[in-house]
Amino acid sequence: MVPMGETALLRLLQLADSVLPIGATAHSFGLETLADEGVLKPEDVETFLSAYLEEAGALEAVFVRLSWKCGDLGALSEELNARKLARESREASLKLGRRFAELVNGMVDHGLIETDLHYCIAFGAAGAAFGIPVDAVALAYLNQSITGLISASQRLMPLGQGAASRILWNLKPAILRVSICEEASCFNPYLELASMRHGSLETRLFIS
Amino acid sequence: MHLNNVSGGVLGGDRLALDVEVQAGAAAQITTTGATRLYRHRAGAGDSEQRATFSVGDAALLEYLPDAVIPYAGSRHLQRTEIRLGRGSTLFWWEILAPGRMAAGERFKFERLRVHTEVYAGVRPVLRENYRLEPQQKDLSATARMFEYSHSASLCAVQEGRPSTFWRALEYKLNEMARERTRQGHAIWGASMLASDGVIVRGLSKSGCFLNEMLLEFWRTARLAVTGVDATPPRKIY
Repeated sequence: MVPMGETALLRLLQLADSVLPIGATAHSFGLETLADEGVLKPEDVETFLSAYLEEAGALEAVFVRLSWKCGDLGALSEELNARKLARESREASLKLGRRFAELVNGMVDHGLIETDLHYCIAFGAAGAAFGIPVDAVALAYLNQSITGLISASQRLMPLGQGAASRILWNLKPAILRVSICEEASCFNPYLELASMRHGSLETRLFIS
Repeated sequence: MHLNNVSGGVLGGDRLALDVEVQAGAAAQITTTGATRLYRHRAGAGDSEQRATFSVGDAALLEYLPDAVIPYAGSRHLQRTEIRLGRGSTLFWWEILAPGRMAAGERFKFERLRVHTEVYAGVRPVLRENYRLEPQQKDLSATARMFEYSHSASLCAVQEGRPSTFWRALEYKLNEMARERTRQGHAIWGASMLASDGVIVRGLSKSGCFLNEMLLEFWRTARLAVTGVDATPPRKIY
């Protein structure tokens, strides 16, 4: 991996911190449906997330890298929009992208990042703008994304802090493998259906 | 129009191409005479390939309603589909993927299936799918993928230029139907508005039974809502 300066490291740590105030904690991306229906249990979370990483994670990692290379970000976001078939998850990704861009633009006092991009694209663009090496940006994005899903799982089922930390720890090799993925391939119909059916749940903790 | 060539089966190394142009104001319904069987890979041959491109002129209608794709044990296949819709034109398209010859106990025994799909309304990409299934490398029964189900189905309804408020209302209607027809452990259904200009219905099932009938129901509902005219089912088993 390309060496990283101290300032770049500190900025990346902040941008990928799960407490970044962009509203990520309000989204489960379909996990709530799976938990509600009893399909996802605490002992399944690690295996579930491992497959999640290979599909949705790989797709987003590819778009983090593409956006870091400063292509046409609007066109990239439009393309990813067409690949995210479940409306709730698609809208959640766009909402987080907007909040992330607005937060970054507010911190640097100018319009550094466009505000109508998917989250992974805005994250990649911010990484490039701050001179953070692309490998680190892709790794950090996936790590925070999985952290968010584990945190959602903790609120949906009896999953303790120690067990949750161990899951995130155990998934590091999978995160590393997926972060260098170059093919934008994704097959997760059951999770897509969970997102499409989320609106039909009787009570919901999460927006998505 | 019935396509006959795919029903005999696709052999390792075969390359099939289908180019369809529906001219402005025209209407076409294209189906197959039976399932597309993908035969075992032949040593030394490349992956079999099926490429279909559809160009739909302004205010034209395309209904592409093929039977299921059945990848046999040991098959390797690439399916590319590209659909481009002109101004005000309409698309109904369904797709069914079986896990293999279930009656012979085959379930996810194929070697590789790659699917690339692109649908554009004018210059806007409204649906892009790109996946590679290699069941020996990645477990298709993982919860994030197909869980306990073996067959997947989708129906896509697109009309260029129709506003998102229309699709949101249709999504709601189709989701109500999907909820009523979902039987956990047998088949589950859901619907979602696409990025723009359309809606998709997805289903997963433990068997191929009733998938066609379900798709037919969703198609009829979507067709009536989008075109104001009831669907005319292909002249086959329905």
